[in-house]
Amino acid sequence: MYNKNRQRVFMLMILPTFIGFFILYIVPTAMSFFYSLTNWSVYNADLQFVGLDNFRMLFEDSKTLAGIKNTIIYALITLVVQNAIAIILAVFLDKKSKSANFVKSLVFLPAVLSILVVGFLFQYIMTSADYGLLNNIIQFFGGDPVNWLGDKDIALYSVIATQVWQWSGWLMVIYIANLKSIDSALYEAADIDGASKMKKFFKITLPLLYPAASFNILLSLINGMKVFDVILAMTQGGPGYATETIMTTLIREGFNSGRNAYASALGVVFFIAVFILSRIVITFLNKWERKLS
Amino acid sequence: MKKNIFGKSLYTIGLTMICIIMFVPIYYLVVTTFKSPEEAAVSPLGLPKALDFSNYAKALEAMDYLQALKNNLIITVVAVILLVFFATMAAYVIARSQKKIFKVMYSIFLVGLIIPFQIAIVPLYQIISGLNLMDTHLGVILVNVFCINLPLSIFLLRGFISTVPIELEEAAFMDGCGTFKTFWVIIFPLLKPIVSTVIILNTLAIWNDFLTPLLFLQSPEKAVLLQQVYRNVGPFSTDWTSFFPMLVMSTLPLVIFYIFMQKRVIEGVVAGSVKG
Repeated sequence: MYNKNRQRVFMLMILPTFIGFFILYIVPTAMSFFYSLTNWSVYNADLQFVGLDNFRMLFEDSKTLAGIKNTIIYALITLVVQNAIAIILAVFLDKKSKSANFVKSLVFLPAVLSILVVGFLFQYIMTSADYGLLNNIIQFFGGDPVNWLGDKDIALYSVIATQVWQWSGWLMVIYIANLKSIDSALYEAADIDGASKMKKFFKITLPLLYPAASFNILLSLINGMKVFDVILAMTQGGPGYATETIMTTLIREGFNSGRNAYASALGVVFFIAVFILSRIVITFLNKWERKLS
Repeated sequence: MKKNIFGKSLYTIGLTMICIIMFVPIYYLVVTTFKSPEEAAVSPLGLPKALDFSNYAKALEAMDYLQALKNNLIITVVAVILLVFFATMAAYVIARSQKKIFKVMYSIFLVGLIIPFQIAIVPLYQIISGLNLMDTHLGVILVNVFCINLPLSIFLLRGFISTVPIELEEAAFMDGCGTFKTFWVIIFPLLKPIVSTVIILNTLAIWNDFLTPLLFLQSPEKAVLLQQVYRNVGPFSTDWTSFFPMLVMSTLPLVIFYIFMQKRVIEGVVAGSVKG
């Protein structure tokens, strides 16, 4: 009696949440897969199955392909650079001094700002107009100005730099929490053996940062694949297709051009790309974990 | 001894370098808001000649600041309250019941952790207009709650609830307290640390969310702060030092929140990273 009634209350407690999630997440996700096989667009009232035509079009469209390629480059580079910098910062700032604490909070601060705002700010800092701050500083030290956002070979990396600036602090605080859990006896033993600082870092610290690293690496990968706001603020996908991403293409095709089925197909490709890349990254992480034990 | 001093000064130089890299863009953002474009071009990093708030006045008006701030507050506060309400109950059921159906529901919720909701925005747009929620705050709130932020919240809460001893509830039940009441009276207050994590992570995410309002809110009077910023870049391209106050003012509420709750925010970020 107790149990039966309890299960009924349980069902009432979870069902509204599940229905909400089902309608607003599961259904549209499933619909994306369905629409990717049709010819649905705002110009096309009657829906027909067209098989894999959308995917064929997609892989023949150099602009869309550039978007996919840029997104993967963006995600992998931010993943590596952000985590490397965050680990260095964590080791460097994991001290109980006032100045280290202050620098920690300053490094974290940009993570509170919105990506769009940071994007606009850096668009003005990196602009090649004569008031561009970054070029002014470079010229002050005698260097030549660089066309940070207008040069198609550089633009994507300029955007990446701003996001590394913004998010390294977020990853850093997670690494610092992990550092605190490392047993100090390990370092004492290494000191007795006369190990150098470098050796201690590579033999003790880095391997034992595995828990934080596995979380942070997946987080940077998935967030990197979703990149959108910062592109909209800084380059709008340009120059040419140099900073087009999956999300900018998806929004343009799905909402501005009304090619709904095409955008749905791109959504499916997006899903497959995220899935494959995270599989690869997880395989690497598992190898790392096995090495530890 | 000598080596130690060398190491120490190297450390100080390193700290200073980090500070400069982090601080200069923010400093530049703030000082520019008090300058005219000409002054900012001549001395980009100098202190402003006068503490002139006319750029702020212009920005306040152009972005309809108070209205947009109100919209942001409504969306963020309501969405976070709904998230806590729905996610804690769902997580509680998943943590406490052995029934298979709830385990299945949990694995479906977890799909949302892996597949970004962005792949589904075209059909989602259709569903939101079908439900007559287009251009309403409720639409943005529901998308933020059920589509974007629910899975992580349930995941974090479930992990925490599993560590709360079940004996407490059994005792309450003996006293004639129903399941629903037991949850809200006995269990919910014990979840304070993880609920504060959920609140902080979701507040940051929802306040700074730009994509959802961009897609689902069209009327200017319903727009959130970031939409107003986005709308004004073009018109203010020559008067860009009047655009900078918009960047400051759209993030100021969260920056103040961060300054006062710094420890909590960082604890929240760390707690959100623990694998369950």
